[in-house]
Amino acid sequence: MSPALVTITLLVVVPMSLILIYSFYINIDLGVDRPAFSFENWSELFTDNYYHVAIWKTFRLSVIVTVLAALLGYIPAYFIANTTYKHKWLLLLLLILPFWVSFIIRTLSWIHIMGNQGAINGVLLWLGVIDEPLQMMFNEFAVIVGFIHVFLPYMILNVYVSLEGVDRNLVPAARTLGCSPWQAFREVTLPLSLPGLAAGSLLVFVLTAGSYVTPLILGGPNDFLYGNLIYDAILSELNWPMGATLSFTLLVLLGLVVVLYSRIMGMNQLYKAFG
Amino acid sequence: MKISSTKRYETLRERMGNGDMDRRSFMALLGYAGIAAGVAGGSMTALSRHAMAAGTDIYFEGWGGVVSEALRKHAFDPYTAKSGNKVIDSAFGGESEVLTKIKAAGSIDGHNMLHSSGVSWYQRWVDNGYGSELNEANIPNMVNVMDAIIKPFRAITPNSLSAVPYDYGTTGIAYNTKYVSKEEAEALGANLLLKKELKGKIGGWGGDWANRAWYGALQSDQDPNNIKDWDAVWEKAREHRGLIVKYWESGAELMDLLAKEEIYVTEAWSGRVAALQAQGHPIGYLDPKNGLAWMESMFVLKGSPMADAEELLNFMLAPETALAVAEGQKYPSSLDPNKIAMSDVIKGLPAFDPTGKLEGLVFRDPTTWNPVEKAQKKQWNRLKKGA
Amino acid sequence: MGWNLIRLYAVAVYIFMFAPVAVVLLLAFNSSQFGGFPIEGFSLQWFEKLYENEAIVRAFKTSFVLGIGTAILATTIGILASLALVRYRFPGKAWITTFLISPVLVPETVLAVGLLLFLRWLSMPRSFALLLIGHTIIALPFVVLVVQARLVGIRKDYEEAALSLGANPLQTFFQITLPLLMPAVFAGALFAFTISFDNITATIFWRPAGSETVPTQIFGMLRNSVSPEINALGFVMIVITVGVPLMAGGLARYFTRKQR
Repeated sequence: MSPALVTITLLVVVPMSLILIYSFYINIDLGVDRPAFSFENWSELFTDNYYHVAIWKTFRLSVIVTVLAALLGYIPAYFIANTTYKHKWLLLLLLILPFWVSFIIRTLSWIHIMGNQGAINGVLLWLGVIDEPLQMMFNEFAVIVGFIHVFLPYMILNVYVSLEGVDRNLVPAARTLGCSPWQAFREVTLPLSLPGLAAGSLLVFVLTAGSYVTPLILGGPNDFLYGNLIYDAILSELNWPMGATLSFTLLVLLGLVVVLYSRIMGMNQLYKAFG
Repeated sequence: MKISSTKRYETLRERMGNGDMDRRSFMALLGYAGIAAGVAGGSMTALSRHAMAAGTDIYFEGWGGVVSEALRKHAFDPYTAKSGNKVIDSAFGGESEVLTKIKAAGSIDGHNMLHSSGVSWYQRWVDNGYGSELNEANIPNMVNVMDAIIKPFRAITPNSLSAVPYDYGTTGIAYNTKYVSKEEAEALGANLLLKKELKGKIGGWGGDWANRAWYGALQSDQDPNNIKDWDAVWEKAREHRGLIVKYWESGAELMDLLAKEEIYVTEAWSGRVAALQAQGHPIGYLDPKNGLAWMESMFVLKGSPMADAEELLNFMLAPETALAVAEGQKYPSSLDPNKIAMSDVIKGLPAFDPTGKLEGLVFRDPTTWNPVEKAQKKQWNRLKKGA
Repeated sequence: MGWNLIRLYAVAVYIFMFAPVAVVLLLAFNSSQFGGFPIEGFSLQWFEKLYENEAIVRAFKTSFVLGIGTAILATTIGILASLALVRYRFPGKAWITTFLISPVLVPETVLAVGLLLFLRWLSMPRSFALLLIGHTIIALPFVVLVVQARLVGIRKDYEEAALSLGANPLQTFFQITLPLLMPAVFAGALFAFTISFDNITATIFWRPAGSETVPTQIFGMLRNSVSPEINALGFVMIVITVGVPLMAGGLARYFTRKQR
């Protein structure tokens, strides 16, 4: 563990401490900061509702994306883990192929699928199901679809890895003991795959909460996340002190989520030790 | 390597098992790592200094894609062949990114020349102390550059220039001719962006506060270079926001939105519309009265090897280079059409001014725009999000 | 019946995953530059241009080497860290987990700027090594999470049995723990590679002057329009990643059959 601790200390903790110092500076003009020990940025963050709305929006969207990713991702992971298909590695590899096409390109290409002249509307219009194209792009729906598409592989792989570790004799054993398939799944497979599900969910949650590009490309004017405010502060307004303040807040909030996660994971281990 | 780190891990594990970590050895480890990093860094710096001796490297940052291809082919490669200096070019996402990097690194190492936007950024670089002093005698091709396009730069730095203007364009209004007639567009002008009947089919550029404010000024009948009533400007921006489906952030998105008829009307960059028109899309382009014009320059940062940079600039201003870049990115070149024969493609570009005087174009005046930028940009970034 | 439904569901999810990718791949064969659908004409010109475009090919090489390096470093470090976290009990464990995951909690722009400030303090220039270490840091949490989740599922009894049968800790690790961990190691390495390969924000700040990765190359194209050469590149890569292992597997089978 020491290499990990050292690298993270050097490359995350130290830089972030430098950033923390910046949060007390005062920004005078674009790109011009004055060293100071001022709580101006922090008090703006705590008193201005603009930031609170963004935090709430981000939390809400992250929960939605995480839940949907878990629902969508669990079954394919179960399928990969239990299939008798010989080339299991191929199924796994297929999952990461979308990454070969750069994230920006993939995100931009949704317009060809969900746009007014996109594939879905084309088919529906042709079938006569609708008379007017459905507006699927540039709203929250599109943002969620975009997020799920990017993060689902993380969920599936995490769940798969846990499922693959489940002892293959357990389910048949439960069945001989009179469990229905559903009961066997609920009592045996699901609890054993929870660590993977939890890890996947944590990743998806945290990644969604820190994003800013997907809402910029797929969303309408109302779709933005906390990450967009950070981007605005640092790269558009060139206001490092405010950007530092906002980033630190995100770090602390997400850090709390992770602590919560490891507490629950720890309980899980206990449960297993006794069970 | 694997064995040693596993061993180290084993020892650490034992300490962990006892419930405490030996803090002193951890700190020592940290110290070693720091020293190692420092030594490695120092030697690398020395190495790179050494490498510099072989010939000067000039670091160029600009818009990638067609622009960098044209520059590489017509300017960088011939320049390297002639002078032995290397041009190391890379693509950036904008100048704020470069400024952020330079500020963080505390030096211009790795940055010499930028494809800089507008006069506003010229002013910003100069104000921040990054302005160099070009010796125009070393850039004979400067004589072909329009006087009118150099003037605003000279106004900021009267004694010497830090950049040469390279191309210009306008941010006008693009409209789909299937849904909006030319007559209607011309009659409405900037107010076409506020046409209620087109609700949900309007777009807007989200990336630039000054563009939004410029149009807000036009829509509220103010002189964009002398805005008195900012509330009125932002009121118009709010009205626009209520009608749009999306703010776009990049030219690639703009093209997609217009080509796929997701939007019928938006402000747009002249060069991008020209590219769409060249592909046969039914997109019209309108520069409303007092519409926004801008220019781009090749800015040389203070501390760069000046003689080499000047020589490179001269290559870049050579007519065949400048015209190839212009055709590639579809923005007219800064060269004077009275002195240099322009190709038909360039003559057909939307913002092209055949007189070489640029009298019909209104540029942003940095003396009125830059001082309000901090406050108004923040205002816009919030308004954009519905606050 | 149930299994068929599961299979159907999985296929549907795979289709969802591939829809946007399929679009990109099809557009690689479009003759027009800013085209969308319907495709105006079939053409291989973008593949030709890609082949001739040194800048993209170089960027691809950089990305590839960077991705492999990141995968090796992040997986090695990540496994060690997870072992310590899962197998040993010590106070403040939850906090250390948070600590290890912290790189994903920090917005990349900020991490990038912070690291640059730190380098300035050390008076180190930006270099490829920085990029590699930076990517490793960003990828580390992904590896830690997946390996940790798997380790929790591996019963400690196996390791204890091996130890009690006289194996030393090193042998136990390589002969018992690591094989059991393999799926997670594979997944972690894949994560690390793809994260590095797809990273834009931090790369923009950390890359040494003049070096481009595929994403930064694309990012630079955004102002005008992204060239379909990029689609062609995606196509080539997908064909290689699926094709080469399949072909290798096929050849191996062919030769083993021949030997019999």
